[in-house]
Amino acid sequence: MYCIIRSPEEKISFGSIGFDGGEVYTLDYNDFAPVVSNSKMKDYGADEEDVKVHKTVVEHVMGEYSVLPVAYGMVFKNKKLLGFAMKAGNRAMKKAMNSVDGKVELGVKVLLPQSSKDFNGKMDECRSEMMRCFLGIAADSRSLKLFSDRLLLNASFLVDWDKLDEFSDCVGRLAGEYSPLKVQYSGPWPPYNFVDIQILGKKRGGFR
Amino acid sequence: MFLIDDILLRTLGFTIPGLDMFWVFEQILSFSRKEMYDQIKDKLKENRMLYELGEISDDDYQQNNAHLVRQLKLAEKARDMNLGVRTDILGGDRDT
Repeated sequence: MYCIIRSPEEKISFGSIGFDGGEVYTLDYNDFAPVVSNSKMKDYGADEEDVKVHKTVVEHVMGEYSVLPVAYGMVFKNKKLLGFAMKAGNRAMKKAMNSVDGKVELGVKVLLPQSSKDFNGKMDECRSEMMRCFLGIAADSRSLKLFSDRLLLNASFLVDWDKLDEFSDCVGRLAGEYSPLKVQYSGPWPPYNFVDIQILGKKRGGFR
Repeated sequence: MFLIDDILLRTLGFTIPGLDMFWVFEQILSFSRKEMYDQIKDKLKENRMLYELGEISDDDYQQNNAHLVRQLKLAEKARDMNLGVRTDILGGDRDT
């Protein structure tokens, strides 16, 4: 299972782009349609190729539909179990879809120069100014781990498709204003950081 | 004294998590293993980011990446070996 979309009128086939070249298609469960492909039952470990396939499928579907991305490696033995999970998570899915419908995720990382002496007194001011600008446009945001000492900012933003250009302009303007800083701007991505789905996980309710 | 109590209790097949020194050592070890694993993953991400932003060359990126992936695999192995499984003298296997 790759992602979930609102139920289309008829079954959709996205072509043979799934695991092992399998056909990716939709199933229908009330309001929502899981996007799936048939595959052998195996343990989907951190295989780089499989992760890439999962990512490609979700991004492909995202081009046409609002998606609830599902974590890589979500496999069901049969349609009955999948149906059970869809039923259990229906309420949470509705809530999640309402918050990400028509929106995409954008990533912004801001890197300090190698010698950050010039920025010592201005880091907080700079971070606040940037966040103020981004949050003025984005519907939601997530602060992510600063995995490097040189990272000043690492965040994801949920932005309306319509506001994509405005957000990009804001990133461009700030990158120019604070030119010694390097800005890495990425996306649009499926809203991975804004939908946390665990089907039939340990927590009650399946989805959360 | 704690240590002797622990050994005595263990020979009888009893452990009291929280009051058991071995249990404490195992928790510390497990925590430090996770820390190490997370640190390597952070370094991998940093290496990728510096490469994408043109701060390091392709060769440096490949070299660092290969080194870090090796380290990560070792850390994964250490984690997957499940060294926290104890064998009771009087009983079978038991997860901690």
